[in-house]
Amino acid sequence: MNRDEFLLEMDEILDLPAGTLRGHERLEELPNWDSTSLITFIALAETNNGASISPGQIVTCSTVADLLRLAQAESGSC
Amino acid sequence: MASEATTLQSGVLKALQFPIVVADVLRKRQVLKKELLKQTNLVPTRIAILGGSTTTEVKSMLELFLLAQGIEPAFYESGYNRYLEEVEFENPDLWNFKPHIVFIHTTWHNISGFPELLEAEVEVEQRVRREMARFESLWEKIHTELGALIIQNNFDLPRLRPLGNLEASESFGRVNFVSRLNAEFANYARNHSRFLINDILYLSAQVGQAAWFRNTYWYNFHMALSPTATVSLAHNVAAIVKSVYGKSKKCLVLDLDNTLWGGVIGDDGVQNLILGKDHPVGEAFLDFQRYVKDLQQRGVILAVCSKNDAENAKEGFSHPDSVLKLEDFSAFKANWDPKPENIREIATELNIGLDSIVFVDENPAERDLVAEQLPEVAVPNVGADVSCFAEVLEHERYFEVDKVVQEDLNRSAYYSSNAQRSAGQARFSNYGEFLASLEMTAEISAFLPVYLERITQLINKTNQFNLTTRRYTSAEVAAIAQDSAFITLYGRLADKFGDNGLVSVLIGQIFDEKLQVDLWLMSCRVLKREMELAMFDALVEQCQMRGIRKIVGVYIPSKKNSMVAGHYASLGFSPVGGASEGCELWSYDVPATYSPRTRYIRRTAEALLAAPSAENESVPSEV
Repeated sequence: MNRDEFLLEMDEILDLPAGTLRGHERLEELPNWDSTSLITFIALAETNNGASISPGQIVTCSTVADLLRLAQAESGSC
Repeated sequence: MASEATTLQSGVLKALQFPIVVADVLRKRQVLKKELLKQTNLVPTRIAILGGSTTTEVKSMLELFLLAQGIEPAFYESGYNRYLEEVEFENPDLWNFKPHIVFIHTTWHNISGFPELLEAEVEVEQRVRREMARFESLWEKIHTELGALIIQNNFDLPRLRPLGNLEASESFGRVNFVSRLNAEFANYARNHSRFLINDILYLSAQVGQAAWFRNTYWYNFHMALSPTATVSLAHNVAAIVKSVYGKSKKCLVLDLDNTLWGGVIGDDGVQNLILGKDHPVGEAFLDFQRYVKDLQQRGVILAVCSKNDAENAKEGFSHPDSVLKLEDFSAFKANWDPKPENIREIATELNIGLDSIVFVDENPAERDLVAEQLPEVAVPNVGADVSCFAEVLEHERYFEVDKVVQEDLNRSAYYSSNAQRSAGQARFSNYGEFLASLEMTAEISAFLPVYLERITQLINKTNQFNLTTRRYTSAEVAAIAQDSAFITLYGRLADKFGDNGLVSVLIGQIFDEKLQVDLWLMSCRVLKREMELAMFDALVEQCQMRGIRKIVGVYIPSKKNSMVAGHYASLGFSPVGGASEGCELWSYDVPATYSPRTRYIRRTAEALLAAPSAENESVPSEV
C-alpha cells in the first residue's frame, strides 16, 4: 500500500472526507482517533501488510505519517 | 420503498453480505452506519450486552448487521467481565434500561475452572454442575426480573491443548469439558422458550482457530475474538435477532437448469440430466437438492422460476435421482417471460412480500436482472459452482429460525391446498357460493399455552393484514395471556381442502368499560375468507360477557398495511378525533343484541371462550 492509499484509508477509518489527511496531522488532535479506530488500524495493517502491530508501538507514533511507517515496517505474526 | 431498497442494495448492504470482506467493513463502518440509519421504519430494540471480555467491537459490528436487517438497536454494555455481577447485584442502569434482549458474550475464557489433571469423573461432574449453577442463576434472574429474551454464547475451544488429543477423550480434558458444558447449555435451551444459543463453537470452526483468536487483541484489549471473528459473531447474532423479529425470509425461488440439475432439460431430456452419485457434478447437484429439501421440510416455501416450457420443466423432477419432487413446490413458473415478472406473480400467488423471497440462479445475467428490477428480493451471488450454492445460502442465514413449530412443517401443504382452493373458485360465478362451498370451520378462543409460540411467530412476521404492527416477545405474549386486563383471541381456520392452522391474533386491553384493540392481525393465506368477521363476532361476544360497552380500534399506517386502512370502517366503527399523528382511532358501541357477521364460517370450540378466572390465570408461561 502506498502513501496515498494509506491516507485515504485513514480518512475512511476516521470518517473524514477523502483527501483530508496529508500525513502531518498529530494523532491526538484527530477526531474519532479512539480505541475503535486503533483496533481497525491494527486489523487493517495485518490484513493489508501482514504487519503485527501492538498498541505499545502505536503509542510511540505522533503523526499519521508515523503510523504509515510503522505499518510498513512490521511483518510476521502468530 | 423500492427506491430506498435500491439505494441500499447498490453499495451498503452488499458490503455486509457474503462474501464479507472484513477489511472493508472495518474501514467503512462509520459510513455504513450513517447510510443504514437513513432507512425508514426501522424496528427499535434494546439489547444489553453482558460481556465476559471486551465488547466494544461486538457492539459496533452488531449494530451494523442489525441495521442491515432493518432493526435499530439501543445498547447497554456491561462493565468489563461483569456479566454475572451486573445481574446478581441488579445494576440500576441495566434494570432501568429494560432490555428486550440480553446477549451474554462469554467464551471459554469465562469457564471458572477446568478439571485438574487426572481429576476423578465424579469431581468433573460436580465441576460441570457448579458451572451450570452459576449460569442458570444468571439466566433465571434475567428471565424473572428483566423478562428479556436471552441469547447466550456456547463455548468455543481453548486454543492450546497440553494433553493433545486426549483433551477430547479424557473426562479431565479441556475439550471434553467444553463439550459437556455445551451439551448442558443446549439442554437448557431445549427446555426454556426465551433462551437461544449463539453457536460460537460452530462459528469458530467456520472461521478457523487461527483467525478466531489473535494474541494481539487478547493481550492488549482483552478481546476474546479477533476483529474477523467479531464480524462473524455479529452477523450470526443479528441473524438470530432478525428471526425473533420475524424478518427472516420465507420463500426460496429456484431456477432449474444448472441450478437444481446439470444440463438443460429442454435440450438434453431428463435421461441426460447430470444428477446423481455416478458423476461428481451430479452428486453436487444431488446434495444441493437435499439441502433445499431440508429447508422445505422445516417450513421454507419453495418456488420454481425457469426459462423453459412448463411440461419439459416438470419432467425434470421425474429423474430417478431427483430428491425434490413437483409437490415440494408451492408455485411453479416455467415459461419464456422475464423472471422479474414471474417472481412478482409468485409473490402475489403466495401472498407474500417480495422482501420475503430469496432467488437462486446460476446465470449471472438473470441474477442481475432480478436484483435490478426487484431490489427487495435477496439475490445472493451463488456463482456457477453448484457445490458452493448451499454454502452461500448458509452464510447469509436467510431462513434463520428461533423455533420450529408444527405449523412450519405443514407450510408447503397450506400453499398447495391454496392452489386447489383457487382452482375451485373458478367454477363459481358467485364468490359467496364459492366461500360456502369451502365448508369452513374456525376455532377462536383465548390464548392457549400450546399456541403461544405460533402466536408470537405470527405477531412478529405479519405485515400486511396488521392494524398496528406492534411486535411482542414471547415473554410479553405469555404475560398478556395471563393478564385479566386483556382479551386475547387466536383463530384457526380449516376447510374441506385442509387445515390453514392458526391464522389470526387479536389482543385488546380493557380500560373500565372500554376495550382498546392493541393488536389485530391475520395471515395473508386466508384473505377474503371473512375470517376477520368471525374474529370480530368472537370479540363482540367477549365484550358483551364482560360488560364492555365500547371497542376502540387502533390503526397505525405502515408501508405494508394499507390493505386494512378501511378495516374498522367496514365493521361499522366511527372515526374518533384527537388521535396522534400516524395513529387513527375508531370507535364501536357494543350493542345489547348482536347478529354475527359471519356467513360462511362455522365456529367450533365455543366452550373454550370464557372470561379468565383465577383458575385460568394459573396457566404457566412456558410450555
